Amino acid sequence: MIEGWFKKLFGKERSKESAKKRLKLALVYDKLEVSDELISKLQQDIVDVISKYFIVDKEAIKLDIKRSDNFSSLTLNTPILSARRSQSA
Amino acid sequence: MEGKIIVITSGKGGVGKTTATASIGAALALEGKKVAVVDMDIGLRNLDVVMGLENRIVFNIVDAVNGKCQTQQAAIKDRKIDNLFLIPASQSDNKNVITPAAMKKYCVLLRKEFDFVLLDCPAGIEQGFENSVIGADQAIVICTPEVSSVRDADRVIGLLYAKSVQPKLLVNRIVPEMVERGDMLSHEDVVDVLSIDLIGLVPMDESVIVSTNTGAHLIQNKKSKAGQAFRRVALRLNGNADLPIEVPQAKKGFWKKIGFGLGRNK
Repeated sequence: MIEGWFKKLFGKERSKESAKKRLKLALVYDKLEVSDELISKLQQDIVDVISKYFIVDKEAIKLDIKRSDNFSSLTLNTPILSARRSQSA
Repeated sequence: MEGKIIVITSGKGGVGKTTATASIGAALALEGKKVAVVDMDIGLRNLDVVMGLENRIVFNIVDAVNGKCQTQQAAIKDRKIDNLFLIPASQSDNKNVITPAAMKKYCVLLRKEFDFVLLDCPAGIEQGFENSVIGADQAIVICTPEVSSVRDADRVIGLLYAKSVQPKLLVNRIVPEMVERGDMLSHEDVVDVLSIDLIGLVPMDESVIVSTNTGAHLIQNKKSKAGQAFRRVALRLNGNADLPIEVPQAKKGFWKKIGFGLGRNK
């Protein structure tokens, strides 16, 4: 309510509002930060699972964490060389 | 009965950990408790000068933890307040001369000796932080209403939970006039961002610097608003958990008296 008054009176936001917004965003980002070690462990686990079903090019696998304002996503790109016969049979 | 060990921490430096440790410790001692305040900032000690005890140091926390002296030898009796003792940091060593394991053991001894032990944690989250937190029963996290300080407090709160130490928040250096005109985060904003219980709100106060200049106890200055706020934090720690938390108020000016400021508290 007071913020509303301020905006009407001065036509701009008080500095604490931007402090709070920036802070909340920073904290969200801080918590999404993961270490390289964790990423490589995750990649290894995923490769192990995929390898049960497909023969993949392990060198070419790329795991990425992307962040935007609204959401974060985990993307894995891997070329599949062939399916494993033993599994599909 | 076993004493309580409370770590006073913040992540960010310069937010008032040492002042808070000295003031809350002094207030607890005035309540009749036997209190030790311990400077854990090895290599950069300051609690001794803030308390005016810098020229009485013989042994320090490193000696005590590593068994080179008794706790009674390292604990310096305060000049003015009975039951208040300072265990200073060593100035020449590096933070890694104490290990978390050794500190944890030493905390068992401290608990037997004192009713309250306040550990003044160094800034940062390295080994000095680990050493300060390892033996603590609870934590007071100090932050000022600034983005950098609140962000670091959030990180430290996360680390404390991970170590199963319950943290409570003390918001320091509140400038009520700035909060009122919307140019400073209010304590509600800070609590909203950090989702943590408060243990006290302390206003910005020039008398903190004045009392540090002479090494006097801030809480013995009855006119100091910060000193009295710290004293109420001590009362809350000392079994008076429901003592209401006072919000620092701006001095009322002419316009507010005639009602211009009505509704601003909502």
